[in-house]
Amino acid sequence: MWAYIARRLVQGLAVIALVVTATFVLIRLAPGDPFAATLDSPTVSAETRARWSAHYGFDRPVPVQFARYFATIVQGDFGYSTSQRRPVGDVLADALPNTLLLMFVALVLSFALGIALGVFQAVRRGTAPDRLLGSVTLFFYSMPDFWLALMMMLTFAYWIPLFPVTGMVDAVMYPYWPFWRQMLDRLHHLVLPALTLTLLTAAVIARYQRAAMLDVVHDEYVRTARAKGLAERAIVRRHALRNALLPVITLFGLAFPALLGGAVFVERIFSWPGMGFLTFNAIMTRDYHLVTGSVIVGGVMVVVGSLLADVLYAAADPRLRRP
Amino acid sequence: MRISLASAALALLSLGCADRDSTTDGDAPTGGTLVIASAADAGTLLPPLIDDVSGKQVADQIFDRLAEIGAEVNTIGDRGFTPRLAQRWDWAADSLSIAFHLDADARWHDGRPVRASDVRFSHAVYRDPAVASPHAEVITNVDSISVRDSLTAVVWFARRTPEQFFEATHQLLIVPEHLLRDIARKDLATSAFARNPVGSGRFRFVRWTPGATIEIIADTANYRGRARLDRVIWSFAPDPTAAATKVFAGEADYFEALRREQIPEVEKNPLLRTLRYPQLAYTFVGFNTRNTLFANRELRRALVMAVDRQKLVRSVFDSLTSVATGPFIRAAAPAIPPIPQIAFDTVRAGATLDSLGWRDSNADGIRDRAGRPLTFSLLVPGTSAFRIRMAVLLQEELRRVGVDMKVEQLDINMMGDRQNTRRFDAIFGGWNLDPSPSGIRQTFTTVATKPGGFNYTHYSNPVFDALVDSAATTMNPEQSRGYYERAYGIIVQDAPVMFMYEFQGLAVAHRRLNITGIRPEAWWAGIADWSIAADQRIERDQIGLRVAPK
Repeated sequence: MWAYIARRLVQGLAVIALVVTATFVLIRLAPGDPFAATLDSPTVSAETRARWSAHYGFDRPVPVQFARYFATIVQGDFGYSTSQRRPVGDVLADALPNTLLLMFVALVLSFALGIALGVFQAVRRGTAPDRLLGSVTLFFYSMPDFWLALMMMLTFAYWIPLFPVTGMVDAVMYPYWPFWRQMLDRLHHLVLPALTLTLLTAAVIARYQRAAMLDVVHDEYVRTARAKGLAERAIVRRHALRNALLPVITLFGLAFPALLGGAVFVERIFSWPGMGFLTFNAIMTRDYHLVTGSVIVGGVMVVVGSLLADVLYAAADPRLRRP
Repeated sequence: MRISLASAALALLSLGCADRDSTTDGDAPTGGTLVIASAADAGTLLPPLIDDVSGKQVADQIFDRLAEIGAEVNTIGDRGFTPRLAQRWDWAADSLSIAFHLDADARWHDGRPVRASDVRFSHAVYRDPAVASPHAEVITNVDSISVRDSLTAVVWFARRTPEQFFEATHQLLIVPEHLLRDIARKDLATSAFARNPVGSGRFRFVRWTPGATIEIIADTANYRGRARLDRVIWSFAPDPTAAATKVFAGEADYFEALRREQIPEVEKNPLLRTLRYPQLAYTFVGFNTRNTLFANRELRRALVMAVDRQKLVRSVFDSLTSVATGPFIRAAAPAIPPIPQIAFDTVRAGATLDSLGWRDSNADGIRDRAGRPLTFSLLVPGTSAFRIRMAVLLQEELRRVGVDMKVEQLDINMMGDRQNTRRFDAIFGGWNLDPSPSGIRQTFTTVATKPGGFNYTHYSNPVFDALVDSAATTMNPEQSRGYYERAYGIIVQDAPVMFMYEFQGLAVAHRRLNITGIRPEAWWAGIADWSIAADQRIERDQIGLRVAPK
């Protein structure tokens, strides 16, 4: 098992290195530069912008920039953010926990909801509730993430103002509230972005789970359990579900990057100060080091997520542990 | 020149009677929290390096200038300027220097007194190439600053110009030498001070949560008097729509860039109101005069003639803004008489195009000449809904006279790239103006056509250049105004650009705010005097001057 994990980690590092190289080159090939925002201001001359560019080393050939960047990366330095004017490491350290919190909540909720819905539909296959839930999950499955986020915000923050519009906490009152109120405020702000990501991901999981359940409910061991006179609930929970979970565990590895991708739009729309929000702004402002740093962190999260899924799969299916 | 000296002397005399910007007297109450929704975070709060509006809004509350420009935004001489760090000032007889006498009570927020050496240091920082300040080039006329005594800073100018006082004051926020002198200049941008500044303004810095908020509170012992509000918070949103929604949802009190279609939302909400005010910005359709098509002055004039700009502006903005009539904003230049425009006349436009050989020979609705259709593309920033809408209407107007204009929507980076490299036929651009009218030297004169210059259209007319130069160097304000007026007339008739619309500030504000002192170039200039009546305060107004632990 450990050799397997080590092999996967090495593969993951290679993938991250490739992605970082591609990002590093592509963002520099894209039109514009980190100082394009000043183009509307006639007082900022081309000479001043050139001086800024030289200050950050962006005037050097791309291979030289890459070599320098690589040298700093291996020392744990992600460079300097031109849009936030502070070290990229600090910027990422602020944003990453926020994304992890959002993703953790969304992941837990979406798997819980998705598995429950899938099982419910499978055991009631062909009934009206199954068809209704099938349509609902298809609706969310086919919905663009940014559109759902916008609709959630408009519906539950604007037309029916139950939740805050944006941010992680109340911009004004949070520091002045007692601890319990601060926690409530955080939860209050978490609801809409987490629910958006949950609905998007749970729809996929529910459809997979339903199909997986339908595959196993006709297997012989389920028929045997039923013949032994076990209660239907026990059959589903102890026999069918356990085996039907294996394909869904694979989804965990896929859900991780999907959630990360979805978080880019969801975080942006809800101003959730996480990796997605950061990456989007970094791309728009051509903040080269921040874009590359975000991609590295995103890459690590995806590699770790898929590795975790493989390990879970191996743990759940003893056949995979055999040498 | 003599008139300028005389006006300077008069201004000096009048200073004896001028009221210091009175703040704490009067009936307005103190207290309350103002939350400003903003669509972009600041980049830095170190004044010499600020190049974004959010940073400028915050820094203008925390730091002071020597003197503040007046409500009329006059940039010639010192008329209208009010004392800030400088209590008074004396012009030298030759006008090549001005001695600023600092207020002995002025203190940095850490308690240290503000001294003349701080003024000298600030200028040195702004001008140091290692700092690469975006403002360095607008203060090049300030040759040096010397310290006569601890409370007298003497600003020396390279040459006498009508705007030398403006250059020495408006462009220069004074920063504390004792906190910055030990930091290498090249490291100032990354210093802790840039994110945790100490100033001398009526608000002091509290905290900055990147991407979320910047918070400042009233400096209760300030030499200019306590700010009326306890606290101001900038709350950042990812885009203007989300920022406006914060105000609609009650999470913020003020947003400066409301869209026309959002007005009904404001009208439905009894707690909100709209505010309109002029802004120093305008848009234009610029023709690339290096393009053989647009090198022809008559063709450009015909295109301008073919467009009913009044109708376009009315269609997109209703009565919210007006047609731009030149490279200036009328509200900021009230003394400039109306500039004669190329009148809307499709018949004459058609006749001009006919006379230039552009006729619809194949009856496809588009004029052509020697087998080449009269077609061009217009670059439009995809982020500007107004410009996109207007471009579509413009396309239709031009189609009616047989001109095929294609609209190319680009993201801001792509557009900047095409603009810089002059790879465009026409561009829907806009300029944010400095209060000084001499800014057109950077945007429309021949010298600005060089690579990296801002004259993207490559417009070049020696008469226009000469008039602008004369206007910028003439000491007589009336004469200067006359030169500008003639220059504006020439550029309008040469039509290197089609002036489209002036920006009209449209803000949404909570009704409990008593808002004063909005200036065209800085609506935030009077925030320290905004107030909230005691009986209208809401939960966030009750925080007082408490500062939560960081």
